[in-house]
Amino acid sequence: MTMELLSANHAAALAATLAARANRTARGFGSGVYPITPQTECIELLCNQEIAKGHVVRVESEHSAMGVCMGFALAGARTFTASSSNGLAYMNENVFAAGFYRLPIVMMAVNRTLGPPWNIWVDHGDTLSLRDAGWIQFYCEDNQEVADTILAAYRLAEDRRVLLPAMVCQDAFILSHTMMMTDLPEQAVVDAFLPPLDLPHRVTDRPITVGGLDSPHETEAHRAQQERAMGAVFAAYGEVQVEFEKAFGRKLADPVVGYRADDADVLIVSMGTIAATVRKVVDEARAKGVRAGSLRVRLFRPFPEAALRKALAGKARIAVIDRNLSPGMGGIVWGEMRGLADAGSIIQDYIAGIGGGDVRQQHVQWILDDLLARSSAGAPKFVEVG
Amino acid sequence: MATDPAGSLEIRLHGRGGQGGVTCAKILAAVYAGLGRSVQTFGDYAGERSGAPVRAYTRVSDRPIENRNKIYSPDHLIVLDPTLLSDAVVAGLAPGGTLLINSPHAPSELAGRFDAQRLATVDATGIARRHKIGARSVVIVNTTIAGAFVRALDLPLPALEKAYAHLGLSSNFAAAREAYEAVAIREPLVAGAVKPPAVGLAPLPSVLPLVEHVEGPPTGLQTGSWRTQTPRYVENLAPCNAFCPAGNDVVGFVQALATKGETEAAAVLGKTTPLASVCGRVCPAPCMDGCNRAELDGSVNIRGLERWIAGRHPVAVREALRTDQPRRLAVVGAGPAGLSAAYAAAKLGHKVTLFEGERALGGVLRTGIPTYRLPREALDQEVADVVRLGVAVKGGRFLDRAELAGLAKEYDAVVIATGLQKLRGIDGAGAELPGVEQGIRFLHRVNLEGGAKLTGHVVVLGGGNTAMDCARSALREGADRVTVAYRRGRAEMPAIAEEVMQAEEEGVELVFLAAPVGFSGKTRVEAVDLAEVELGPPDDSGRRSPQVSSRVRSLPCDTVLLALGQSADLSLLPAGWELDGGRVFDGDRPLFVFAAGDVATGDGTVTHAIGDGRRVVLRALRALGSDVDEFVRPDRTKAVPATDIRFDHFARSEPGRGRHLPATTRARTFDEVDAGLADGLEAHRCFSCGHCTLCDTCLVYCPEGIVRRADAGYAVDYTMCKGCGICVTECPRKGIEMVAV
Repeated sequence: MTMELLSANHAAALAATLAARANRTARGFGSGVYPITPQTECIELLCNQEIAKGHVVRVESEHSAMGVCMGFALAGARTFTASSSNGLAYMNENVFAAGFYRLPIVMMAVNRTLGPPWNIWVDHGDTLSLRDAGWIQFYCEDNQEVADTILAAYRLAEDRRVLLPAMVCQDAFILSHTMMMTDLPEQAVVDAFLPPLDLPHRVTDRPITVGGLDSPHETEAHRAQQERAMGAVFAAYGEVQVEFEKAFGRKLADPVVGYRADDADVLIVSMGTIAATVRKVVDEARAKGVRAGSLRVRLFRPFPEAALRKALAGKARIAVIDRNLSPGMGGIVWGEMRGLADAGSIIQDYIAGIGGGDVRQQHVQWILDDLLARSSAGAPKFVEVG
Repeated sequence: MATDPAGSLEIRLHGRGGQGGVTCAKILAAVYAGLGRSVQTFGDYAGERSGAPVRAYTRVSDRPIENRNKIYSPDHLIVLDPTLLSDAVVAGLAPGGTLLINSPHAPSELAGRFDAQRLATVDATGIARRHKIGARSVVIVNTTIAGAFVRALDLPLPALEKAYAHLGLSSNFAAAREAYEAVAIREPLVAGAVKPPAVGLAPLPSVLPLVEHVEGPPTGLQTGSWRTQTPRYVENLAPCNAFCPAGNDVVGFVQALATKGETEAAAVLGKTTPLASVCGRVCPAPCMDGCNRAELDGSVNIRGLERWIAGRHPVAVREALRTDQPRRLAVVGAGPAGLSAAYAAAKLGHKVTLFEGERALGGVLRTGIPTYRLPREALDQEVADVVRLGVAVKGGRFLDRAELAGLAKEYDAVVIATGLQKLRGIDGAGAELPGVEQGIRFLHRVNLEGGAKLTGHVVVLGGGNTAMDCARSALREGADRVTVAYRRGRAEMPAIAEEVMQAEEEGVELVFLAAPVGFSGKTRVEAVDLAEVELGPPDDSGRRSPQVSSRVRSLPCDTVLLALGQSADLSLLPAGWELDGGRVFDGDRPLFVFAAGDVATGDGTVTHAIGDGRRVVLRALRALGSDVDEFVRPDRTKAVPATDIRFDHFARSEPGRGRHLPATTRARTFDEVDAGLADGLEAHRCFSCGHCTLCDTCLVYCPEGIVRRADAGYAVDYTMCKGCGICVTECPRKGIEMVAV
């Protein structure tokens, strides 16, 4: 293992490279890439890697980048791409196609605000808008987690029970361009962790039809299979966690990450890097006698309903910090969670840090104060503009 | 600090896009990581490009770092661009914290502003510039100032060296070390309270609704305030100008031809030389050796262009200027140095009398250089142009010492330009045999006495231009075979390479590493004895010195022409007169007698003589109190190097070549070998190094669109110019430079 001072963009590229090389004894590696701020550094580094039996194809658009990945994946290769924001919006059609084809493509997505007006900073709205595309979605909190989750995502996505594409999301700049010492495993360890990909529906010399025409009941059957595959993720992920720790000697985070949450009365839920700030506020609140706790949603698809329902049980007041907005609905994380709290609990949505605002302790403290002062939940609150 | 445990450190950097602030923060993180600390480093990224204010951050801790917020209360602050210094920038800096500023000023010069801080200053820009760190156009200071920070924080310098090695920046470490040594540190003067940064949920400015129209451009930002360096249009020294011994404005006349015409080009030449037709034929053209186009597809044929211009339009000025104080000058010797001296003085309105031993003017141009290289019509025309300026001529008789002393009394000043009159002979046995003669005497007969017919095998001894002239003239005078024997190798030959090549084409044989040691023959020379030579260590001239061996062979021949070199003959100077540094002294008393050209310098080319003639006559006039400019040879090291020329702006093209007679026909006649260029299009191959041609590249490439044509050049809107340096990077010819604001 080597510790390197790396941005999460570079960590992602190097993790993908390790996974790519691990498939050299099978059908190799293929990738279609197209740059967009703030993902560019990732694919630049990937393009400069020597990968035996590997091809990184520089294409003219995100739509084609995913098309190239689908072609490689159908041929049985391990695949990777990366995008962000409006690039993902442009890729959209093929993102869905990859999900429907059940191809275990891994994509690193840097969460960036959709425009116009243009904004290059963090906002989870770009990948959350793809939550129905049939992809597994992880949201990471630090650089190491980005690298680890990419390796784990391959094992999970390629599991015969799952066979779904996986998106590993990270906050623009706060992760993508921030350098931390990052531990990247040796190739041999990755080789042992990631068995060669054997895609059951890969194209061979025997002609097959991929993505033909479905009748209504066939579609329903295929969707139901997709849903079951999503349901299989939880058990499979638990096994990946065990194998990951065995291989690399460190834990792979849970789908939902609690901090002083079990005995808390008040819970602050967040996704991505904001959780670090929330934990500081929790510590300070506890010091003042407020039984606060933090909950970080790391796996968003499949939605970890059971884990969340358990974590929310008995909590009187819950704040959900959404770094996204579904106009007409409010925050997406809150929207999906609000039915999971105990009856009578206050579960209030706070829109914070969208467009890349630096969510500081003062902001989270304001959220906590607002939550504690409430007699009931209300409409989603915008933290900066009210 | 607020969020990480004790033992943590937060550093913030303020710079501008392009200064490398983010990399600097990374370097500091790498240093601390190398010391075993946890680190985190990141920059503030925005849509702006070069020059925009940029912040970068480094966190250091003894424990894993979880804080992902920006740094609002730094322990230490680094400011890469002092124009960014403001209360807002320094806000939040802990009292006693170190404020490191890239500034040429000592901390004491900033007294009163940051008295509660530990203040450190270093001229990182100056150091980085000296170490040539940065892009083609702009200096980058990040790797330099890191050295100052390491010193200010008392960190071990080897930790920085290690970090640089790890980051592949080792070549920048010398600058960092210099900054480490140069940084000036002043401890806090007063204990101060930290001014809290603007934090919390302060009211935000109102935002215009998207459904309302925004009038005009989206920003009125005056980006000129971001600038740390400024583009300036400058004229830089072109290598051709730097290399021209005559001091001609080479790029000037070539560009004048390319853009205006022959008349304008001739006028540029006429400022410095009356002998462009001559130089356009016989100059060894050091300008072409220096020409940056050689690095792309071959030097511009400058010599050919000079001849092309002079062949269509006389270069010499037609009218002398008037001067209030006309001086009476005697110039002794009407070779290239004397003619140039006479021309330079006469066109300023001074009274020049030219003394020449031969009946016709021209010196070595007439007595030495054969007509197949320099037709006499061309020479006669240019000599006549000099005389037409009012130069009096006294020719046909060589002066003696007494007459020279008389001139010194009669004239305000005397310039001696007698060339190299002393001929090197040979001591070997048989040197007195008939058939062994000085090549210069042979050429004199060829050129001025109606010819010097030869037969049989002619051996020429020597390797200079005189040797080539002798060999090729001998062929033309009827020799059946001509051999040139030279004691060194081909690479050491002082002759112009093109002359050597042409001689070989015409059938001249070359024998190298052969030194004459004797001659044999009964009544006339029948053979020359040539000893084999080995090359030893370099001598004073830098050429390897010939070591004559005892292995001798006899080369049968009918005539031997000696071209072993010439030297100055100072026997003309009256007793007691000494030449020192180009001026003649009578004892300790400087006389108004000067020496110019080969007699003084021994440089040995027509072009050097032209330059020196002008230089010396101007020196004489200044000594007499005249208000004339000095001619100072430019410093070649200041010339624009080829690496500063953007080749991708130029299409490749073959150099224009002269039109030569076929070797077989020309070798038996004195017709001019080279008819010169067919046209002046070659001028368009000139890069115009260091001289703006109004090509609009800067205007086109400016990302802000704020360069416009103005007057005879360009104007930059400095209220908007960010100093990105793209105009300088893209300029094909280094007509712009970045300078410190």
